[in-house]
Amino acid sequence: MPVQALRTVTAARNGVGAFILQCKRLDFHYCDWAGSSRGMNEFLRQNLPAFAREHPQIEIRVAPRPRKHPIIRGHFVNGKDKTICVRNLEPSDILKQTLLLKDASGEKLKRTKKPVTSTNDSVRGIWSPYHGDLRGV
Amino acid sequence: MKRLQLHRWSSSVLSPRARTGSRVQQHLHSGVRHQSTASPLQSEASSQEEPFLEEAPVDEGLARHIRSIRFKRPEIQYPSPPVEAARSSAKLAALHARLYLPSRLPLETLARTLVDASADPNPHFNNESLVTLGHDLLTYYTSEHLLCTYPRLPLAVIFSSMYAYAGPKSLAAMAKEWGVEAATLPGGRLTQFRRIDPGAEVPGSAEKREPRQQMGRKIFYDNEYGDAPSGPVDRNAGVSAEQASSDFVRAVMGAIYLHAGRPAAKRFFEQHFLSRQLNISSLFSFSQPARDLNRLCARENFEQPVAKIISETGRRSRSPVFVIGIFSGQDKLGEGAGSSLFEGRERAAVAALKGWYLYSPLSVRVPSSMEEEGAAPWKPVHVDLGEVIV
Repeated sequence: MPVQALRTVTAARNGVGAFILQCKRLDFHYCDWAGSSRGMNEFLRQNLPAFAREHPQIEIRVAPRPRKHPIIRGHFVNGKDKTICVRNLEPSDILKQTLLLKDASGEKLKRTKKPVTSTNDSVRGIWSPYHGDLRGV
Repeated sequence: MKRLQLHRWSSSVLSPRARTGSRVQQHLHSGVRHQSTASPLQSEASSQEEPFLEEAPVDEGLARHIRSIRFKRPEIQYPSPPVEAARSSAKLAALHARLYLPSRLPLETLARTLVDASADPNPHFNNESLVTLGHDLLTYYTSEHLLCTYPRLPLAVIFSSMYAYAGPKSLAAMAKEWGVEAATLPGGRLTQFRRIDPGAEVPGSAEKREPRQQMGRKIFYDNEYGDAPSGPVDRNAGVSAEQASSDFVRAVMGAIYLHAGRPAAKRFFEQHFLSRQLNISSLFSFSQPARDLNRLCARENFEQPVAKIISETGRRSRSPVFVIGIFSGQDKLGEGAGSSLFEGRERAAVAALKGWYLYSPLSVRVPSSMEEEGAAPWKPVHVDLGEVIV
C-alpha cells in the first residue's frame, strides 16, 4: 500500500483573511413608563440610529418590555447570548455597554495563562537533549 | 486582456433554460438523461399541498377566514419568500454586510442563495444553478492552488486536501461561522430546505459505498474528493442540514462571480477559504515508509538511503531513545527519534518522504492569475513526476 491520506477539515482563523464580527444581533428592550428606562429611551432616540449605521453587520431589534428594567441582549455567531441590564444608566454609558457587546466573541470569559495562544507549532522547536553540544557526565 | 462581459452570461445562469442540469460526470455515470437542460419540476402529493381545498369546509365562516388570510398574505402559498421581501429583511442585510459582499450583489440574489431545491423545486427561485457554478469555481481555485503550491503531493493527499478546503463538512462549518441559521420548510428568511427524516439514509453519502482502490480509476470516475459520484439525488425526500448549508456557501460563491465578476470571486475565495488553516503534513499516512523512500531514491538516482544512529541513550534501560538519521551519501534526508531502532528509522523515513512530497516553490503563481489585467507573462510551474509507485 503506498501513501494513504487522512480526512480532516480546515480550521477557521477569523481575521486572517476576512473578519466576521461575532455579534450578529442586538436586542434593545425598554419600558415607556418606568424611570429606570429614561436613559435607554433617550439612547434609542438619539444614539441608536448612528450606531446602526456604523455597524450594518448587526441586526438590531427594539422591543418594549413593560414594567421591567431596560436590557441589551447580544446574540453571537456561536449560538450564545449575553444580556446586560442598563437600568438608570445615561445614554453614554449605555453606548459603552453596547460597544462591549459588539466587541464580545460570545464565549465565556476565560483567564488566559499563557502569553501566546497559537495553533501553529513553535518556531523554535522543542528542546531535545540528544542534539547539540552533548556533554559527558 | 479584454474584460469579459459577465452580465450577458449571468442571465443564462440565473435562468434555468440554458443551464446544465447537473455535473457532466454524474450524467455520464448515472445513465439518466434529461431531455431539457432545466431541472424538472418535481410534483408533490396534492393532499400535502392544500389540505383545506380538498374537502368541503363545514364551517362557512372558517372557510371565509382561510380565504381572507390567503388573500392578505399571498406569500404563504409559495415555498420561498417573495422577491420583494429580501429588501425588507434585516437578517439578510446584516449577512450581506458581515461577509463584506460586494455592493453589486443585490439582496434578492443573496436571498435566493438561501433557498434549497428541496424547499422550492422551481429552478427560477432556488439556488441550484448558483450551487453548480459556485462548486465548479471553488474546486477549480482550490485545486490550482494545491497543485501549484505543492507540486509533488501524492494524489490521495490532494483528494483529501480538496475535501478539507472545499468539502461539504468545511463548507457547512463556514456557514455556521458566518452566522447563518437554518429555517425549516415554510417561511423563514434563512437557509430554507426540507429536512430529511431522521434515520433515513442520506442520499449520496459516500461512506456506504465500497471505496475505489486504484488512484488512476479515482481520477477518471470519481469526484474531486476521490469519492464515487452520487448520481442524481431526489431532493423531494429532503436533504441534511450539512448538505443544505454547504450548498448555500457554494451558491454565494457563484452569485459573487455572476454579479461582481471574477476578481471579486477570487478575492472572496482567498479571504474566506484559503485563509483557513490546514496542516497538509498531518494528512499523510504511510504503511512502509522505508520501502517508499528506497524506491524514491532509486527513481531519482540518489544514492541508496542508509539509516545511521545519530545519538542514543539508555539502550539497555526500559525507556531507550534512539535518534536515527537517514542518509543518502553525504546528505541527510530525514531524522527521527524513537524508542527502538525500527521506530526511529521509520520516523526518519517519514520525515524524509514528507520533506520530498511537501516541496513548495517560492513565489508560486496559479493559472487563474493570468486572467488579471496587466499580468506578467506566464512562466511554467513546476510539474513533478508524481508519487513513487511501489
